[in-house]
Amino acid sequence: MKRVVVILLAAVFLIFMNMRSGGADTTLEKINRTGTLTIGTRTGSPPFAYINKNNDWVGFSIDLVEQAVIPVLSKKLGKQIKLEKKESTPQTRIPLLTSNAVDLIAETMTDTKERREAVDFSLTFFVTGAQFLVKKGSPIKGIESIGGKRIAAQQGSTNARIIRERVPSAKLLEFPDQPAAFQALAQGQVQAYTNDGIQLAGLKAKAPKPDDWAIVGDFFSHEPYGMAMRKNEPELRDLVNAGLAEAINSGKYFQLYDKWFGPKGEVPYPLTPETKQFLQKQAVSK
Amino acid sequence: MNYHFNWSVLWSGQSGAWLLQGLVTTVELSVLAWLLAVTLGIISGALRTVSIPPLRWPAAFYVEFFRNVPLLVWMFFWYFAVPPLLPEPLREWLFDHGAEFWAGTCALGVYHGARFSEVIRSGIQSIPKTQFEAAVSTGLTMAQAYRLIVIPIALRLIIPPATNESLNLLKNSSVALTIGVAELTFQTRQIETYTAKAFEALTAGTLIYLILCLAIAAIMARVERRFAIPGMIAQGSAGEF
Repeated sequence: MKRVVVILLAAVFLIFMNMRSGGADTTLEKINRTGTLTIGTRTGSPPFAYINKNNDWVGFSIDLVEQAVIPVLSKKLGKQIKLEKKESTPQTRIPLLTSNAVDLIAETMTDTKERREAVDFSLTFFVTGAQFLVKKGSPIKGIESIGGKRIAAQQGSTNARIIRERVPSAKLLEFPDQPAAFQALAQGQVQAYTNDGIQLAGLKAKAPKPDDWAIVGDFFSHEPYGMAMRKNEPELRDLVNAGLAEAINSGKYFQLYDKWFGPKGEVPYPLTPETKQFLQKQAVSK
Repeated sequence: MNYHFNWSVLWSGQSGAWLLQGLVTTVELSVLAWLLAVTLGIISGALRTVSIPPLRWPAAFYVEFFRNVPLLVWMFFWYFAVPPLLPEPLREWLFDHGAEFWAGTCALGVYHGARFSEVIRSGIQSIPKTQFEAAVSTGLTMAQAYRLIVIPIALRLIIPPATNESLNLLKNSSVALTIGVAELTFQTRQIETYTAKAFEALTAGTLIYLILCLAIAAIMARVERRFAIPGMIAQGSAGEF
C-alpha cells in the first residue's frame, strides 16, 4: 500500500515537472514553426462565437481574430498564418492556455485582476455588464429585488461572485453552460438568470419566443472582454494589440461590430458613444 | 510551461471552506444515492433470478432501461423532466429546497441501482442451485430462502465488484454539477473562478477523490474479511489493505 502511494505521488510530481520544463520556444516561434494560430473559443455564445444554422463556427470574436489579428501575425512572420479553433469554456480556458493546447483565448472572457495573475490580456474589445433575464412581467427588476429569489448564473462567471457577495440571501444556482441555465429559467427552477447583458440579448434573440423574455436591471458589474494569452509573451501580446488597435483606427472594428450587433445583425446591441470613445482612446494610447 | 504554482490559494480566503462544503455535499449525495442504488439493486437483482416471468420482466426492463442511457441524460431527466409532472405547490416547495440535490440523488441512485442489480444477479446465479433447493427442502418458503440463505451468501460473493460500483458511484457524483449541485468538483471550479488557479484547485479535488476512494476500498476490504464464511470462498486475496 505504501509503495503504491509513493509511486502515485512520484507520477504526479513527474507530470508537473514535465509541465514546467516543456515548450521551450515562445508562442510566436511556435506559430511561425507550425504556421497556425490555435485559438480557444466558445460554441454556444452568440454572437461572439457559436455554431450557426449552417453548422459554421462563426462570431464577432472569431472575426476579430481572422480579420485583425491574423493579418498582423502573417505580416510579421512573412507567411500566411492559418487559424485553428478549439472549444473552450469558462472552466477550461485558462488550463487550455497554460498547457499550451491553445495560443489565444478569443471568446467572451472578462478581463479581471485575478485572471491577470494567471494570463495576459489584450486590449478590451467589447464592454458589457451583468443584468438579469426574466419571464416578461416578473417582479424582479434588478439586483435590488433578488433577495430570497432563486437565481441562475453561469459557473465560472464573474456575475455569480458579485451576487454571492452583494446579495447573500439570493439562492444562487450555478450551471456549467448557458442552455441548462436557460432551461431552468424556462421551467421555473429559477426566477431569473444573470449573465452579461450582451449574452442575455443573444440568448433572448435565439429563444423560440423572444417576446416572452425581458432583460432587466442596470449593469451591476463592469465586464470588459479581452483576448487572453499566456503570461510573459510580450511579442505576441504586442502583435495582438497592434492588430486590434489598427482595426479600431481603420474602422474595420466598427464594420464588424455592425455586422454582428447592428440593426440587421445577429443580436442588435447599439454601440454607445461612451464605449466607442473608450475603444478609440485605448487604441490610440497603444 | 510558464505557469507559477501558488498552492496557498487552497487555504487562503474561502477556498478551504468551499472544499469542505464540496466534500460534505459529495459524501451526502453519494451516501444517499448508494442506499437507494443498493436497495433497488438487491430487489431487482433478486427478482431477475426468480422463476416467475411476470416478476422477472419488470426488473429486466428497469435494468436495461436505466443502465443503457448516459448518466448525464438522467441528471437532466430528473431535474428538468420530472418536476413538471408534480403538482404546483410541491414543485415550488422542491425548487425552494434544493431540487437539484434530490434530482441528483435520484439520477445517481436509480442509474447505479441498475448496475448494482447486475452485480447482485451474478452473485446469486453463481450460487449452486442445490443450495436453494436445500433451503426450500428444510421448509423455508421461496421468499425466506432468498432472504435468509441466497441473498446473504450472494452479498458476500459480490463485495469486490460492489466495491467497484461504489467507487464509480462516488466519482460519478461529480456529474451532478451539470444541474448545479455544489459538490466537490463544482467547488474546485469555484476556486478556479475566484483565483484563476486551475491546476492547484484541480489537484486538491483529485487528491480528495483519491483519498475518499482509497478509504472506501479499505472499508470494503475490511467488511469482506469480517463477514467471510470460513471455508466457503478461497481466501488469501481478499483486500490488500
